Amino acid sequence: MKYPLGVGLIEDLRRALGDENVLEKPVELYLYSKDASLIRGTPTCVVFPTDAAEVAEVVRIAESHDVPIVARGAGTGLAAGASPTEGGIVLTTTAMQSVELDPENHCAWVGAGVINLDLSKQAAPYGLQFAPDPSSQSACTIGGNVANNSGGPHCLAEGSTTSHVLGLEVVITGGEVVVLGGKAPDPPGLDLKGLVVGSEGTLGIVTRALVRLIPIEPDVRTLLMDFPTVEGAAATVSEVIAAGLVPAALELMDQRMTVAVENWLGAGLPTDAAAILLAEVVGETEGVRSDAEIIGDIARKHGAGTVEVAETEAHRALLWKGRKSAFGAIAQLAPDYYLHDAVVPRTKLVETMKAIYEIADRYELTLLNVFHAGDGNLHPLIAFDAGDPGINEKVHRAGDEIVALCLRNGGALSGEHGIGIEKRDMMRTSFTELDLDAQARLKEAFDPQGVFNPNKILPEGSRCFDFGGVPRREVPEGVWV
Amino acid sequence: MTAGATGLESLRTEVPGAPDTALGVAPRSPDEVAQVLRHATEHGLVVQVRGGGTHSGYGSPITPDIVLSTRHLAGVESWEPDDLTLVVGAGAGIAEVEMMLGGKSQTAVMPERPGDATVGGVISVGLSGWRRARLYSTRERVLEVTLVTGDGRIVRAGGRVVKNVTGYDLHRLVVGAFGAFGVVVSVCLKLWPVPPAAATVAVDSVETARLVSRPLAVLGDRSGIRVYLWGSDEEVEALAERLGGRHSGGHEWPDDPSGAFKWSLRVPPALVPEAIGRLPEDWAFVASYGVGELRAASEGSGAAAEIRDWAEAAGGALVVVEAPPGALDGLDPWGAAPPAVDLQRRLIAQFDPARVINPGRLPGGL
Repeated sequence: MKYPLGVGLIEDLRRALGDENVLEKPVELYLYSKDASLIRGTPTCVVFPTDAAEVAEVVRIAESHDVPIVARGAGTGLAAGASPTEGGIVLTTTAMQSVELDPENHCAWVGAGVINLDLSKQAAPYGLQFAPDPSSQSACTIGGNVANNSGGPHCLAEGSTTSHVLGLEVVITGGEVVVLGGKAPDPPGLDLKGLVVGSEGTLGIVTRALVRLIPIEPDVRTLLMDFPTVEGAAATVSEVIAAGLVPAALELMDQRMTVAVENWLGAGLPTDAAAILLAEVVGETEGVRSDAEIIGDIARKHGAGTVEVAETEAHRALLWKGRKSAFGAIAQLAPDYYLHDAVVPRTKLVETMKAIYEIADRYELTLLNVFHAGDGNLHPLIAFDAGDPGINEKVHRAGDEIVALCLRNGGALSGEHGIGIEKRDMMRTSFTELDLDAQARLKEAFDPQGVFNPNKILPEGSRCFDFGGVPRREVPEGVWV
Repeated sequence: MTAGATGLESLRTEVPGAPDTALGVAPRSPDEVAQVLRHATEHGLVVQVRGGGTHSGYGSPITPDIVLSTRHLAGVESWEPDDLTLVVGAGAGIAEVEMMLGGKSQTAVMPERPGDATVGGVISVGLSGWRRARLYSTRERVLEVTLVTGDGRIVRAGGRVVKNVTGYDLHRLVVGAFGAFGVVVSVCLKLWPVPPAAATVAVDSVETARLVSRPLAVLGDRSGIRVYLWGSDEEVEALAERLGGRHSGGHEWPDDPSGAFKWSLRVPPALVPEAIGRLPEDWAFVASYGVGELRAASEGSGAAAEIRDWAEAAGGALVVVEAPPGALDGLDPWGAAPPAVDLQRRLIAQFDPARVINPGRLPGGL
């Protein structure tokens, strides 16, 4: 039966999960009112279910009360996918911590709340690892990785999260628990798990994931190369791939970022270089040795000054330190930053970067670049002080121009951060009404009641070709509390 | 063919393999595909989509009113070697596409012995090449798809860049969906560079194959086990030596086993040796270690039920890829029904409300 909005919701949740697993004090709600984006919502309560059965209870309760459920892992998302902007229940996955390793089959069933890096640490004694390695991997959860189809530097060679999810335990509409996929390849029937990956909690709640674990390669070489021109670095990236090599990572840092990092770390980075390229090759010793030589030769051909090759773990960590410290280094430039995520075809990298600098200069903004050059995934970063009058407006306008530029150059809205709310309204620039309608139909089939993270990913009115569709949720603010 | 011939006369053509009772059509554009499908939806006709015809018998049998050939949707729209992307029509032959890509040392990592198979066909039935052991399956290669839904809407999903999380992954959902969401008319594929050296090494056991960390593939059949290597000259030479077996330059990929019945046996990878042991001696097979996929062929189907019971209990499946007409004797082509059949049905209904494209061909009667 349907209840009046909100009445008895907390009581029902407490009965299902226990008092201690339902938070509703204002200070607690504030902590869960946003993810790592700048967009804040107003949750009614926060719950901590421990398994699929409890999540199923929460889904049934939410559907009977007609309130949204927003799943949340560690809250490191950058697109507001986990911000409860429509109110309702924030379902935190952190209590779902099971890990069942299956080294024989190179996979593991993992609770949605398990932290990415912890999984790889647990798999390491078996010579295995989880390939996706987003920058937030020491904090972000597997459930969040699944929701956002997360990437990271090493997905150039191994693909994003979707390539590493073999199965999912998902709670869908009606509180039904389904297990999709499995350890055997190509399960007969539609690949529903592949659709759930990257759906940002809008199709159901993932409680466990069966993830692929890949062997830790026996050897690794890391190269740091500096270039007098960005073109030289970009040309090196293209020629490396044309030579039949797909390095495990190919990361590019521009001069502005290098200077910021060097001022902070003093790691001896060449601040006079226009661009620094970090490459990593993994595999058998014979392979990485020859690959490193080939990359070094190509880099020198394109004007690289020094080519530094790390063969020890300590040296490797030092070379990566600059890349991994990039976002920390921003803090000494300005108190706030806005990190973008867009993709262009790799051949358009140089011209896109130049145009991005022009946009930033026009708005008199400090913009730095550190990104995944191998797959054209740009991360222009605007450093600013939110206290400056009018600055937020400027940052957002510049950001919109940058995204529009990337799309004009044949790119995509997001390479790894997701759409959430941040880029929802830009979806119309990437897709036709018919395309968006098709996506809205997927959502409708999965979530006829509209409780799973409503109004994310797709702009309002996407379901434009069916006038008898589900009515839009109208919820007066504050009615549940 | 009675109902529905009207309106499609201009598209009528001979389509090999089409039953006499069916109308053959070969549209030349997405709009013409939409015209056919709208007509089918209006009149409740069953449409079978045909690429190269290599897997026409795969899935539950259907009786088509219309057989839609993709052969005129076969052009290469764009190939950007430096971006590792190829946009190609669904009717393009895998063999021709891979030969073209090989000219610049690239590959789409499609099945290595494709015969007449097309890009659209391989995607729609969800086939992958043996190299999936290292480079993952066909679904990982599909970056963008343009399809015409059962009710005649032209829809695009994904994008033409190698990394993209914009919107729902409808472009991956169509892989292995047997056209349930629509007729795939063109796709953007993620390419992969081919390194200069390759070798195929015969080894005495799977344990020996494990001396190499991540080979391109390890395949076994009744003649033995072979490890497929690629990389730089130095690397391939060294690894072939480490494996200690007879080796030849290049890759000698096996043909799919032939027989009256063709099977796809799928098991968790660690169970491949046991799966091989369970196949009757007169079944031919090629098994992919590390993947868990075995392609098998036989003259009879007597042992199938027992093998299927074992595979399903182990979390796998035994699927019929081809069988003589009427010879399955009650054996379902797919086996146990998949999970969430109701949800699958709701999804399909959003794209093919009259259920005209390959109705009932998927497991679960979908």
